[in-house]
Amino acid sequence: MAQYDFKKITVVPTGNDLIDIVLSRTQRQTPTVIHKGNAISRVRQFYMRKVKFTETNFTDKLSKTIEDFPRVEDIHPFYGDLLHVLYNKDHYKLALGQLNTARNLIKRIREDYVKLLKYGDSLYRCKSLKRAALGRMCTVTKRIGPSLAYLEHVRQHMARLPSINTGAPTILICGCPNVGKSSFLNKITRADVEVQPYAFTTKSLFVGHTDYKYLRYQVIDTPGLLDRPLEDRNIIEMCSVTALVNLHAAILFFLDLSGSCGYSISQQAALFHSIKMMFRNNPVLIVCNKTDLQTLEGLSGEDLKLVMEMKSAALKTIPVSTITDEGVMAVKNAACQRLLDQRSERKMKSKKMPTVLNRFHVAMPKPRDQKERPVCIPQAVLEARAEEAAHEERKTEKDIENENGGAGVYSASLRKHYILADDDWKLDILPEFLDGHNVYDFIDPDILQRVEELEREETAVEEDGGDFEMEDEDFTAEAEKDLQEIRKRKKLLIQKHRIKKSTAESRPTVPRKFDKDRKFTTERMGRQLSSLGIDPSRAIERARSRSVSRKGRKRERSVGGDGEDVMEIDGGLDNKKKLRLRSRSMSVLSQRPLGEVVPGEGFKDSAQKMKAVTMARNATKKRNKDARRGEADRVIPTLRPKHLFSGKRSIGKTDRR
Amino acid sequence: MPQGDYIELHRKRHGYRLDHFERKRKKEAREVHKHSERAQKSLGIKGKMIAKKNYKEKVQMKRTLKMHEESSSRRKVDDEVQEGAVPAYLLDRETTTRAKILSNTIKQKRKEKAGKWEVPLPKVRPVAEDEMFKVLRSGKRKTKQWKRMVTKATFVGPGFTRKPPKYERFIRPSGLRFTKAHVTHPELKCTFNLEIIGVKKNPNGPMYTSLGVMTKGTIIEVNVSELGLVTPGGKVVWGKYAQVTNNPENDGCINAVLLV
Repeated sequence: MAQYDFKKITVVPTGNDLIDIVLSRTQRQTPTVIHKGNAISRVRQFYMRKVKFTETNFTDKLSKTIEDFPRVEDIHPFYGDLLHVLYNKDHYKLALGQLNTARNLIKRIREDYVKLLKYGDSLYRCKSLKRAALGRMCTVTKRIGPSLAYLEHVRQHMARLPSINTGAPTILICGCPNVGKSSFLNKITRADVEVQPYAFTTKSLFVGHTDYKYLRYQVIDTPGLLDRPLEDRNIIEMCSVTALVNLHAAILFFLDLSGSCGYSISQQAALFHSIKMMFRNNPVLIVCNKTDLQTLEGLSGEDLKLVMEMKSAALKTIPVSTITDEGVMAVKNAACQRLLDQRSERKMKSKKMPTVLNRFHVAMPKPRDQKERPVCIPQAVLEARAEEAAHEERKTEKDIENENGGAGVYSASLRKHYILADDDWKLDILPEFLDGHNVYDFIDPDILQRVEELEREETAVEEDGGDFEMEDEDFTAEAEKDLQEIRKRKKLLIQKHRIKKSTAESRPTVPRKFDKDRKFTTERMGRQLSSLGIDPSRAIERARSRSVSRKGRKRERSVGGDGEDVMEIDGGLDNKKKLRLRSRSMSVLSQRPLGEVVPGEGFKDSAQKMKAVTMARNATKKRNKDARRGEADRVIPTLRPKHLFSGKRSIGKTDRR
Repeated sequence: MPQGDYIELHRKRHGYRLDHFERKRKKEAREVHKHSERAQKSLGIKGKMIAKKNYKEKVQMKRTLKMHEESSSRRKVDDEVQEGAVPAYLLDRETTTRAKILSNTIKQKRKEKAGKWEVPLPKVRPVAEDEMFKVLRSGKRKTKQWKRMVTKATFVGPGFTRKPPKYERFIRPSGLRFTKAHVTHPELKCTFNLEIIGVKKNPNGPMYTSLGVMTKGTIIEVNVSELGLVTPGGKVVWGKYAQVTNNPENDGCINAVLLV
């Protein structure tokens, strides 16, 4: 009744592989260090452990193999015979027997050597004994090498056998070679069996499954049989004989009416009569195939007589043509029905049936009067149903997708549901780059509002008449120049002041030696002195002669941005050392007033947001002032973690960890 | 093809991948480099095993190559040397001839008289007494030290019974008693597992012979009825001498060579 799973057998290693596996296991999983100076009992224990461990491993692996392989006597006779046919039962048993003997030998070796190890009085002696023990076990394993190879071969073949459930209802297809058995199987099941015009295309059993009345049937296709005595049959034919003899199934004997298989009807009839006794009490159906080439009625008298003879031995005869599909279903239904009937009969006859039947009682209520009682549906429900039917179905996106080519072909247009001021804009394409900038960086939700504001301002300014602009005619050239100078100076001062103010909290007060921006240069000193009217050359000389850079200076860490020199447009940026601009590069998006509540940030009103901002600032002020390491500065929590600095280095360079 | 051969079936129906053969060829070509990388990078016992296997293959390859070359190589022809020819620096010397040639039988008789036999292992390492015996303390206060336990392989006959424990001086533990030996026939070059009949002579001394201790070089008598040897007279030989060739206490078995 069982579905045997031959795929679960573990892989059988070859002799040498098995030795390698077990010995390397022993080396890895037992302690490896022992010294001459250790107490003799420890030495003995150490080596005994190795001998025992190796023996255990060998025994385990061999036992697993021996137990995994099915025993020919214990399994269903169908599989027993099949294994015998395919692999030769004797050879199979011998191989397993050899494994068993090897296992026992290894056990004996272990017992002997553990006994001898007890008398080992020196490390050398114990070591030699262990070596001898392991060596002997390995020799035993080497000797069973061929058996292991054979068993591995058998296992691979067994795993690929079709899984035939010996207890399930089965239909067996047999007949001469080339009559159309495999094409029939292809018709009623989903098994894709090769169909070719030459004989013995099918060389082994094939299984397909089909359904009938909610029950699953197995259909087994066999290789063709020739009319020969049993001793002369080859392995392929023996497979089909095994199936015939051992399985309880509905047998479909295929007959080729046209003789295009190469065997005449008389030959086929002879075959039928010779294998008749194998059918025993299985239901037999004779299927006359290839009726498109030759019908049953068109047969000659002799052939018809032979067919009638065969019919008497069987239940039914059905004409079939697998090419035109005529009669195929009829055969299947007939066979399945017969099997079903048999099953029900058997169940009824079984001893348990009366007890089960006693518990059943189908009650038919007797009508008490002649009144008609039809189905009752409330009026509201009926109305709703009618309305729904009248209501036209909304076309779903899925339907549109299916119409336009399916999932991979059609991509839904998400734009059509956009809500815009003007519906014409739905399909507009928005550019992504403009003049080297991302357009999305400059889009603002309130941009239109701001544009309007700006326009309003400008119109206001125009109306005012340009208060701020002065007339050019009122100034002379010199005054003009001075004015420009003053304006420039003023702008610079304002910018410097702004930066200073904005970074005042976070700008640390560091002593002069941390002059990252190199603003305390001799040139600067020279400039300042010359602006005061003093000749700077001697001062510069002195400063240079005493400078640290002559002696070598360490690079100092960068410090909070000081924007002074940065804003000297001509002087500062012309320097060979490029000063990094520390001002924040802001995109338009963040140029909002600070207290404005942006939905999504989690503040309930402007006051709360301002409070949060001040708290944040206050927290970082002290740290920044002291020029301490901040949150964004790189931190190495442990400079020498243990996992990188310990352990042996097997292969590789050691110049870095 | 059987129903379970999915790979072959797929190949039959759909053929191979377009680049299958190319990839296969390239993969096989790369195998050589991978093999070399593994051989170079493996450490420890694994590296040693790989090196050993490679060496064996190399030797084998060299042999086959040499064999192939033999047929096509030319060799130097040795000049024939005449009997009695003598090199130039010995030309003026007087030669002496050996006078007596003793016959084989006389030599054998002499040896028998002297008690010397030709054995495969003429010289053997002497085994000291403290190596052979382990001192066992006995008595109520464990002060008596007259008992000795043998630490080497021994043979006791089949009808052996111990002396009463109070009187037995030499203890031969049953774990170290052997009854069978692996005897190699020097000419046939095959080994048989034969029963020991007795210990004939232990080179370390007559005491050990009487105790039945078997160390390396001991002459033992083994039951050779398995071999089916027959004397010229027609009698079946069933006992022969053999000499032990290994250290039985280190290997757990007795290996001997038959003295023909």
